[in-house]
Parts: sequence; structure tokens; C-alpha cells
Amino acid sequence: MLKDQIDALLDRVQKPARYMGGEMNSIIKDPDSVAIRYAFAFPDVYEVGMSHLGSRILYDIINKREDALCERVFMPWVDMADLMRAEHVPLFSMETRSPVGGFDMLGITLQYEMSYTNILEILDLSGIPLHSEDRTWEHPIVIAGGPCAFNPEPLYHFIDAFSIGDGEISTLETIDVVRRCKQEGVSRQECLRRLAGLRGVYVPSLYEAAYHEDGTLASFEPTEEGVPRTVVKNMVADLDRAEYPQSIIVPFMEIVHDRINIEVLRGCTRGCRFCQAGMIYRPVRERSMEHLLDLAKHLVDETGYEEITLSSLSTGDYSCLPQLAHELMERFAEKRVALSLPSLRLDSELKATLEETQKVRKTSLTYAMEAGTQRLRDVINKGITEEDLMSSVTDAFAGGWSSIKLYFMFGLPTETMEDLDGIADLAGKVVRKYFETPRNIRARGLRVNCSASCFVPKPFTPFQWEPQDTIEQFTEKQKHLCQIMRIKGVEFNWHEPHVSFLEAVFARGDRRVADVLEEAWRLGCRFDGWTDQFSFDKWMQAFANCGVDPAFYANRRREKDELLPWAFIDAGVTQAFLWRERERAVKAQITPDCRKGCQGCGLKRFEGACVGR
Amino acid sequence: MRMLLQFQKGDLVRHLGLLDLQRTIQRALRRSGLPISYSKGFNPHIVMSFASALSSGIPGDAELLDVSLSGEATERECLEKMNRVLPPALSVSRVRLVDDRFPKVTAALRQAQYRITLRGGDARKIADAVPAFLAEEEIMALRKSKRQEVMVNIRPMLHELTVDFDAEADCAVLSARVSFVEAATLKPELLMEALSAYAQAELPRCEIRRTQLFGLSGDQPVPLIDMQAP
Repeated sequence: MLKDQIDALLDRVQKPARYMGGEMNSIIKDPDSVAIRYAFAFPDVYEVGMSHLGSRILYDIINKREDALCERVFMPWVDMADLMRAEHVPLFSMETRSPVGGFDMLGITLQYEMSYTNILEILDLSGIPLHSEDRTWEHPIVIAGGPCAFNPEPLYHFIDAFSIGDGEISTLETIDVVRRCKQEGVSRQECLRRLAGLRGVYVPSLYEAAYHEDGTLASFEPTEEGVPRTVVKNMVADLDRAEYPQSIIVPFMEIVHDRINIEVLRGCTRGCRFCQAGMIYRPVRERSMEHLLDLAKHLVDETGYEEITLSSLSTGDYSCLPQLAHELMERFAEKRVALSLPSLRLDSELKATLEETQKVRKTSLTYAMEAGTQRLRDVINKGITEEDLMSSVTDAFAGGWSSIKLYFMFGLPTETMEDLDGIADLAGKVVRKYFETPRNIRARGLRVNCSASCFVPKPFTPFQWEPQDTIEQFTEKQKHLCQIMRIKGVEFNWHEPHVSFLEAVFARGDRRVADVLEEAWRLGCRFDGWTDQFSFDKWMQAFANCGVDPAFYANRRREKDELLPWAFIDAGVTQAFLWRERERAVKAQITPDCRKGCQGCGLKRFEGACVGR
Repeated sequence: MRMLLQFQKGDLVRHLGLLDLQRTIQRALRRSGLPISYSKGFNPHIVMSFASALSSGIPGDAELLDVSLSGEATERECLEKMNRVLPPALSVSRVRLVDDRFPKVTAALRQAQYRITLRGGDARKIADAVPAFLAEEEIMALRKSKRQEVMVNIRPMLHELTVDFDAEADCAVLSARVSFVEAATLKPELLMEALSAYAQAELPRCEIRRTQLFGLSGDQPVPLIDMQAP
């Protein structure tokens, strides 16, 4: 029996709890009672995948259907994966330890580019042919979604269909189609054709790409009549009417975000020009306070978690945040439930809220400054000033906080050494503010944690045409930063540029990098997001073996009229808007939050978007 | 009031370490709706303690947890509420309510019973050696701790050892009741090493499971949950 075989392997791996299953609130259905068995895979280890909100939403939505079941699949860590290969144990689901290859559908979420080799590993461990065209009805229909699906091309060969945009409705529609096709006994190819007819669904095998001699894309067209030329993203207009789990699985082992996570709003209108999420998740949609309080109550009762986090791209923008925080604190004080507010914008009026959360627990405060000078912050449209930061940390230090995190990027378009010096300058000023706070009111143990990551230009942002700094440029800037960041009280962290370079390749890659991906996986690459597993040399070998130049994708400036590999997707924001924003960026002109006036990003074309604005 | 819970750590969750188990049970207690009490401070936690931590990888049939309650509840209510919120692999078999002055269960722990299953290999040879092994007055074995390795006589720490051999399945099932007190704890792994060495046999892979925890009433073993206050 496969179940016993798996159980025996658990005695031989580190962290067996990753593969255990049987957690509270996991849903086990009788496979004979449903028409569609859906395996939902997160291409990373259990403790990472279990922390992902979107997966939990879709798990709940699919299992609410009477005619379908959803079981979770995670990427086994390398020790387990190797053992499974050696012992011929196929990849299995958490709920019933069933082979993934036997499900009707396999959904894979694409959260970051560096998980792509794990997708190939998942397919291979499941015994599913890597290439879409080699699959039959014996294999699941492989569907992928998530933010990286907005440039699906690097994965075109491995995925049968991509679902682009909000998944709540689209997932159900794809299940309906597959169910009907299986009932009618139509061919797999016909099933894919029908999937391509759904809004937001892209079936790569029904399109063809051609290239110019210089390597740029010459044309991208459907190969069949009736297949849409443009794939329009899915959008849930009213979050209060969208499904949200009232109960979530409580893992045995500690996971990365081990708490109740309530999505208060989706989308962001700030318009930071580097931020892909801020562009592709538009428009801003809020859940009502009554709905959120009701969700919180159910989730606290059902899980026993001791912490709630209010999540979104910009929780500080939630229109009734202070009331919501206050209500949550009051209602759950007796149960000792703490409230945490991540990704706070320091320009939000949150003083009262902060003081409330402090009553229960004092965490560190995070400020995403992103750039060191006002000029560069204007270029990227990050609407925070030095004054905002200073007034906020002044309050924080006086309020008893002593741990501050500052996030920056380097390698941003138009960046000069002066902008880098600005990072050290800001960190130094924060430290001085702490020491200016009277000794009797400030908390002890100042910690200013300052981190700088390498900028990666992403599709559907105003910087999608920009070259990324080369690894050499990054390294040089990094050296400079390390020197100037030797400030007492400041801890400086930076990210290695090699991973960011590959991210840039795959973020803006076309179909030709799919071969590189496969080659890298064959050379042994997997878990590329894990420093101890990442091998840059193997990746460079893969590029060389395939005759593909990574710099073409990462470090090249695109022209305005270049046909971009992802241009066939209508992500809501128009290419015209993105270019306009790019032009404003290079002139360091800011664009105000669109809630203060429509900026014509393109979302108004969508029914139900931008209501009440 | 305090609630003594006798629960299983089932096969499915045998790999849980103490911290994972603690967290899981704390969350279950929070879901249960029982009047649990919290410690004071910025990180309030539930006041509870396990009679004995069970190593990761070993299942247990009758583990014991001691939980403080801040209000009234009946034993039946506690049992029902806990089983509603615990995964089946951690189900509660018995609940006993005691008052706050009742001694900590950890203090009463004296012995533990294990079931050890040996499959194939020299299983028969080991099973056959049990009567002679028990007839010995002294059995020296090397006990390893973090700091030192010492030869100790383990025979006085072995109170009961029975064996069943299933010839068809080529499988020996041993049941051992051993000492479980500081400085005189006999680990089932060490017992099996000593027994197989005594039988001049090679120890096959063994499955160990803890089946009961005991206190002593006089010199009679009593399941920990049934211990009376002295």
C-alpha cells in the first residue's frame, strides 16, 4: 500500500511533520462521491505553502462544491524527494496520500519565479509528462495561476492552461468545463479548447510565437479560429460576495505565517511604479467591516489561533482600519488574541491603532522606504517623504518601540551613487531620533534593521521596458552600501544579485527560456529560492547548453513599440497607461493615488471596477 | 480546578515533537470553549504540563496532560469538548478533574509500559531468549547520556517483560514495564539492545509504542490518571 510506504519513509527524513497530514480542519471527502478530484499544489515546502492565503481560499471554495474535492500537495524537501525517487513512491496528496498523477485536475500556484524548477520536479515526481502535448486523459489537466501567470510564457510548455487574475470564480469555471468534457467523453484537446473559451484562461498550445532576427518577438497569434487574441484577466468585483474560508487548517508544525490571516482589501491604488502587485490586482476592493468581524469570529472559534493579521497590499489604506482594529481588540481580548498589522504605510493615520495593538504585543515596525532620496522616491512614485518617516519613528520611539525595519531596493531606474548614500543617511537619522527620545520614555535595545534588495523589473509595471542592473553593477553598489552602512545601531542586510538576475530573466522571459528551465532542472536545479540549494553555475550551464543569452532578458532596454511576450494579456492597466507612467518616472514626476482622481489606468473598462470613486 | 487528560499520540502523528504537540493541544484547548486559565504577561499562554515528553517518532496510547481550569466543568463535558476539537490521532480517552492542591502528575510518575514489535530477522531468537533473560539477576548495559557512558545493571529497572511470537507473521511483540524515574529510567531502545546482545542476535527494526504511564501505590503500579493523593 502506498500509504504504508509513505509512512515508512517518514522515519527517514527531517521534519516528517511536513508530510503527515491529518491536521485539524483538513477536509477529507470520499473520492467516489465526487466527479472532479482536484489536487492543489504549492511548489514549495509545506510550511511555506501552508502560509499562502490564496491557496487556502481556493481549497475552501473547491471543497464547498458537492461534486468536487480538493487535496493539498506540497513540494517534498530534497531528502524526501530523493527517497521517493529511490523507492518509487509517487508524489502524493496530504489528505488521503493519493498519487497526484491520478487526480482529474492539478492546480499549481505561481507565486515567485524561483519556484519554477520545483514545478517540473512536481510533475516528474507525479509521473506526469513534462510537456503538455505528451499528456492524455490518464493525466490531470494542469492549470496554473497566481501573480506570475501574468507572464506565463516561460512555462508555456509545461502547463495546459493558465488562469489569469482573481481565482475565486475562474477555478470553479474550469472545474465545470473539465467535468462536462469528461462526461461527454470529448478529447483532451477539445477540453483545452473549451477552457480557452473561458474568460481569463490562456491555453498556450493554441498560440504561436514568431521572432525577429534580433531575438525580439515578431508576432503572437492564436493558431485556431475562435481562440481569443487577447486574454482578459478575471476580477472579482465585490469581495463581500466572494467566498472566504470561515475555517482553516491548523498545522501541527510551525509554519511561516502561523496565524489567522484576514484579507481586508485587495488591490492598491498608490501606483508605486516598481510594484507588479499594485498594478495587476487593481482596482481596490474592500471587505465590509461587518463581514471582516464575522470572519474573524468564525476563524478564532474554529482554529484556536492566538493571533490575527489583517493582510492586503496596503492595510493602512483600509477605510475603517482604526475602528476595525479597535473592535477586534475588544472582542477577542478575553481569548488573548493578538492583532498584527503588517505592511503598514507610515503615511496612514494610525497612531491610535498602534497604541491599541501595543497593549497586547510589541512587534517591530516596518517601513518600506524603497529608495534613499526624495528624487528617486518620486521616480518610483513611492509617496513617502523623509518627514513622514521621521515623524512616525519619533512617535514610535516615544510609544515604546525600539525595533525598526527599513526596506530599500537598489538598482532602480535612474539611480546614482547619491541615492545609495541617501539610504545610509536615512538609517543614521532614525538612529539619532532614537537617542533624542528621552531616556525615561524610550524602550531599551535599539535595533534598526535595514535591508536592500536588488530591483527586478516586472511585466505590467511602468518599468517593464527597463534594463536590470548587471550582476557586476549590483556587486559594485553593494560594496559601496556595505561601506557606508557601518552605522552604530544599524544592522544591514542585502540580497545576492544572482537570484535577482534569474528572477528578471523569468519575469520577462518568452517561450525560449522554457527550454532553459527544463535544462536547469535536468542539471539538478530545484528549490532555487533556498540559498543552500541554489546553484548559479548550473543555471549558467543551462543557458549555455540552450544557446540562450540571459542578458537579453534581464539587462536589455525594450523599445516602446517592441511586442512584449505578455502583451496579449489584458491585465486591466493598459500598456498606454504604463508607458505614460514610465515617461513621468524618468522625469521624476509623481502620480497621485487614483482615489484622489482617476489616472486613466484602464480599469474603468471593467464592469463593477472602481465603484463609488 | 485541574483537568487530567489521558490522550493518545496516534501513529499518524508519532513524529510530532514536544513543541508541536504543545502548540496543537493549546490551540485545541482554546477552541474547546472550556474555562482554561492563562499565565500573566505580554505573551499569555495556557497553564498546562505533560506528565512526560514522548520522543518524536514514538506513538503513545495513554499520555497524560495536566491543565489548569479557571472555572467549573464536568469530566464528561471536558471529554466531549476536547474530542470535538482534537484531530482523531490525538483523541482523549479519559478525563479526571482534581482540585488545585492535587500533586503534579509528573511527580507521581514511576514506571512506563512499552510495546515493542520486532519483525523478521532474528525476532524469534530474541523472543526465545526472554525467559532466560528474566532469570538473570544482573544485566549490564551501556547507558549513554549527553555527558558520559556508563555500564549499569538494568535488570532492577525491568519490572515485567512478556512476549508473544506469531510464527506465521514472523513477528515478536514484547511488552515491557520499566522504571521511569530520574537516574533510573530504562529506555526501551536500551532494553532491546541488551536483550538482543543477550540472545546473541541481531536486532531487527523495531516499532516502539508507549502503552501506559504508571505511578506506584505501595509497590503496585497504578495508571497515572488513577493515582490518589498521598
